[in-house]
Amino acid sequence: MKNVDPIIAIHNVTKYYDRFRALNNVSLDIFPGEKVVVLGPSGSGKSTLLRTINQLETIDSGTIIVDEHNLGDPGEDIHKIRMNMGMVFQSFNLYRHKTVLENLTLAPIKLRKMHPDEAKSLAMVLLEKVGISDKAASYPAMLSGGQQQRVAIARALAMEPKIMLFDEPTSALDPEMIGEVLEVMVKLAQEGMTMIVVTHEMGFAREVADKIIFMDGGEIIESETPERFFENPSQERTIKFLEQIL
Amino acid sequence: MKKIDIGDGAAIPSPDDKQLLSAWWIAFVGTIALLIALPIYDPDTYGAVLAFIPDGIQVTFEVTILSIALALIIGLITGLGRISENRIFNLLASLYVEVVRGIPLLVQLFYIYFALGRIVQVPDIVAAVIAMSFCYGAYMGEVFRAGIMSIDFGQSEAALAQGFNKAQTMRYVILPQAWRTILPPVGNEFIALLKDTSLVSILAVADILRRGREYAASSFDYFETYTIIALVYLLITLILSKLLAHMEQRLNYYEKR
Repeated sequence: MKNVDPIIAIHNVTKYYDRFRALNNVSLDIFPGEKVVVLGPSGSGKSTLLRTINQLETIDSGTIIVDEHNLGDPGEDIHKIRMNMGMVFQSFNLYRHKTVLENLTLAPIKLRKMHPDEAKSLAMVLLEKVGISDKAASYPAMLSGGQQQRVAIARALAMEPKIMLFDEPTSALDPEMIGEVLEVMVKLAQEGMTMIVVTHEMGFAREVADKIIFMDGGEIIESETPERFFENPSQERTIKFLEQIL
Repeated sequence: MKKIDIGDGAAIPSPDDKQLLSAWWIAFVGTIALLIALPIYDPDTYGAVLAFIPDGIQVTFEVTILSIALALIIGLITGLGRISENRIFNLLASLYVEVVRGIPLLVQLFYIYFALGRIVQVPDIVAAVIAMSFCYGAYMGEVFRAGIMSIDFGQSEAALAQGFNKAQTMRYVILPQAWRTILPPVGNEFIALLKDTSLVSILAVADILRRGREYAASSFDYFETYTIIALVYLLITLILSKLLAHMEQRLNYYEKR
């Protein structure tokens, strides 16, 4: 894997919210097809890190290179770069005034200039894949949380992205709905998608991750394979975190 | 859903508000009954006024429709300006709102009609529409601003993350949703504007009130004239408020009820 260039290269990134240092000199390489799970206590900077990758958060210093585009370069069109990265939010954020099908077709039609018929058939394939094609004509408010999140994943996939970012995708869900969302994510991982997942789901991390990043206080404390992270943690803060959560 | 309450428009009946609904029916039926009964009771006065003002109704509608259309466009631009990160755009929009809100509509009407009339000559009705929409555009701007700000920020983030730029996000995601929040106060403004068009009768615009004053001045039937005029305005605003309540209902299609 190391003879390939990373698809995401984060180098010495620092970010402040006013005077609070949310990210402190963070560096991380992610390679094509890699599944990276980011763990850490709340306020550790893991969501902030994820959101800097598609520039929903700007950074104060350092560089982020995504698919050979330097996000700090004023000549780069961030909107074009974002089209190749799907994002799934904790609170789903489906377009409330659009049907499920329209949620999937809006961006491909407007941004990729896809023909509406083509966008619709692609959308139906994706809805089938996340197991929710029978709700194509429903509005988001009529769906359960788990259904909404599966639609949100399908919406992100409709832009045929190279990278998928997940920001605590199951944290807002009732326990009985977490499984159906994780199942879709596991399937996606098996298909070889490059995924960066911020989550508290340890089972998912263990099963799917190629690499686990543990963050605390805006820093990356540990970057390990799941086996070594869970079975043989080396850092004191990691051990403390695992004790609390397991 | 958060309601925005700006302006002094008529109370738009809400479908779940049975009290208001019956108040609406009483007012509506009473107005129609009086508009039929009074001219029958005295055709020479009430009947004659009613026959004299229909031209004025048309003018009132013309001024109202043109003004509201223009005010909506000005309001959208102003609202976007008020939330814009572009400092100059933001400042201009805020300045406009501050200035317009601080000057009475009647003074603005006189100003645009008489003062500007010395520089450029425009037809009476055009001056009236410019003045009305200039004033109401500022109120509409505040309504648009509040409506846009009422939409969850997650909606913007989702659109931006997909690769939409700010303008596309506004157009495809935010405004279609904001419209639903905006409609009730816009409806109020619409009805308030319709009533305020009576001010243009001061200028040479032959609206309902102007036609009534002309009739009263020649017949001296002041009581009968203004009774009919009040009833005509009331009937129009009652019908409008009902129509707006229906539209509001239909815009709620995508929310669970």
